[in-house]
Amino acid sequence: MSDWIAIAAMVVVAGGLPIGVVLVSRLLRPSVPERQKQKTYESGEVPTGDTRIRFSIQYYLVAMMFLVFDVEVVLLIPWAVYLVQDPSTYVPAFVFIVILFIGMGWAWRNGAIQWIRPKGRERVRPRDV
Amino acid sequence: MVELGFQQADLLPLAPEIAILGSALLILLIDSFSRGKHGKAAVAIAAASVAAAFAASLALYGTTAEAFGGTFVVDGFSLFFNVAILLVTALVVVSSLDYLEEFYPEGADELTEYVVLLLFATAGMMLMASSRSLVTAFIALELAALPSYALVAFAKRNRASIEGGMKYFVLGALSSAFLLYGISLVYGATGAFDFVAIADAIAAGDVEPGVLSLGSLLVLFGLAFKVAAVPFHVWAPDAYTGAPTTIAAFVSSASKIAGFVLLFRLFTTAFPAEVDWVYAAIVLSVVTMTYGNFAAAVQDSVKRMLAYSSIAHAGYALIAVAVFSAEATGDSAFALGAGMSHLLVYGLMNTGAFLVVALVDDYYGAGYTFEDYAGLGRKMPAVGLAMAVFMLSLAGLPTGGGFVSKLVLFAGAVNSGFWWLALLGGVNSALSLYYYTRVLKWMWVEEAPEDQVELDRKPLALYASILFAAVATVALLFAFAPVIETATAAAEALLE
Repeated sequence: MSDWIAIAAMVVVAGGLPIGVVLVSRLLRPSVPERQKQKTYESGEVPTGDTRIRFSIQYYLVAMMFLVFDVEVVLLIPWAVYLVQDPSTYVPAFVFIVILFIGMGWAWRNGAIQWIRPKGRERVRPRDV
Repeated sequence: MVELGFQQADLLPLAPEIAILGSALLILLIDSFSRGKHGKAAVAIAAASVAAAFAASLALYGTTAEAFGGTFVVDGFSLFFNVAILLVTALVVVSSLDYLEEFYPEGADELTEYVVLLLFATAGMMLMASSRSLVTAFIALELAALPSYALVAFAKRNRASIEGGMKYFVLGALSSAFLLYGISLVYGATGAFDFVAIADAIAAGDVEPGVLSLGSLLVLFGLAFKVAAVPFHVWAPDAYTGAPTTIAAFVSSASKIAGFVLLFRLFTTAFPAEVDWVYAAIVLSVVTMTYGNFAAAVQDSVKRMLAYSSIAHAGYALIAVAVFSAEATGDSAFALGAGMSHLLVYGLMNTGAFLVVALVDDYYGAGYTFEDYAGLGRKMPAVGLAMAVFMLSLAGLPTGGGFVSKLVLFAGAVNSGFWWLALLGGVNSALSLYYYTRVLKWMWVEEAPEDQVELDRKPLALYASILFAAVATVALLFAFAPVIETATAAAEALLE
């Protein structure tokens, strides 16, 4: 039961801390109401345009490749710990990494990482203008 | 201590899967190092690997082996389904050679990606047939599903294809969520992922029945999505219609077969009758076959009609598990074996019918409605005859294996005391005759219009696939006895 008391204490502290900080700062700070502060992000910038903008699908490809190696790390860390006890596990892990590299090599070769250059626009160096 | 390193003995029973996966990686490697794209070479490698996997599956027949700590099991049941899945894959791979070149301007180039995705999906389906743990089953299912989503959307400049792929992906992700939540509840109730261990935990009686029932129901619903059973079928007509037709053939045949393997193995070994999933399976079966047939009857497009007909066939196949009972193992094994052989025959005739659509609709561009098939039977007698075999066999008439497989399926239901389910299936089959013969009426009876498209080109690979499927369907009418005997023996071994 004592474990759960510790968790309950953590919930109270974790929940109470931000509330307490906001409350204390509300008491201490001067109040200067202003219209700019009502704006989104409160940064003084006027927000323009829609949030639903189109962005390049290449970000998606990069994110996918990142995800593959992200998961690889999750799987390889336990293996790395276990490797000391059983060196024969080197083989399956090696095969696993080789398979991942085949996939990455193929994606690289087919231009998944190659960033598309904008077409139809001359490169103008600032000095020439 | 869990053994992490694998033994070499673990790899031998998985030879068919390794052949498929290895050739997919080989095609990727060739594609990475060669200067150009070699679509035709990729198809050749894929065909060779499918043949090798087929031979390996047949060679392994009769052996029973466990691998990777019991998470994979290779037995008659899994090998039977390996054969069915590989037959469909072979037909699809070979016919894609003509189909893609014609359907996409850049077809031959993009064939490498297409073939690799097809092989990965096939490997996932074969692993689904062999997995005996909820975790490996889920991973195998995702390995089969993710390439399928991409394949459905493969015609990336075609809006219908993108729409079909999107619907398939979103609903597939939803069904995976159902399945995962169900798995987590089953694990929470029994503390096991292994099917046999789950059954043992239930038999020991130390489980929370509510959690277990809910979990098994959610797993059933998740798999019902994969096999497109009503009311979880909404993605299927759009995905099949939008997809390149060879892929529609693949997804509606192989993917459905793979969903059923997992359904059969999981529910008969892990939840034998302690949980009342059987009632849910009965309701799903009745609703699916009735709705599928009625919806197919009102379609204008042949491809959509075939999509609904494949939904109706999911309903027939569900009879095999709906009549399951843990007490009468012999009857249940017979019904299950009948379901297995029906799926094998269904895979051949359904793939064949979709390939005829691929030829007429996409390759020749004749159009998608029934009227557009007018007079085609007399112009292309071989294809017309093949289509007649497929349609009548799908309806359950003795032109092909569909007749006998449906007969034993209904006989299995009667044996298990579900005579009314067999009767309902019979009535539904009679109803399905209407829309199946409608295609044949247009192909053979009606006159071709003056302005019909030219049919002078001869796509050899597509023709060969269609004719092979037709010949195999007819052959199964005469050689059905060994199929049903093998299937029943495999089902008996599974239920022991």
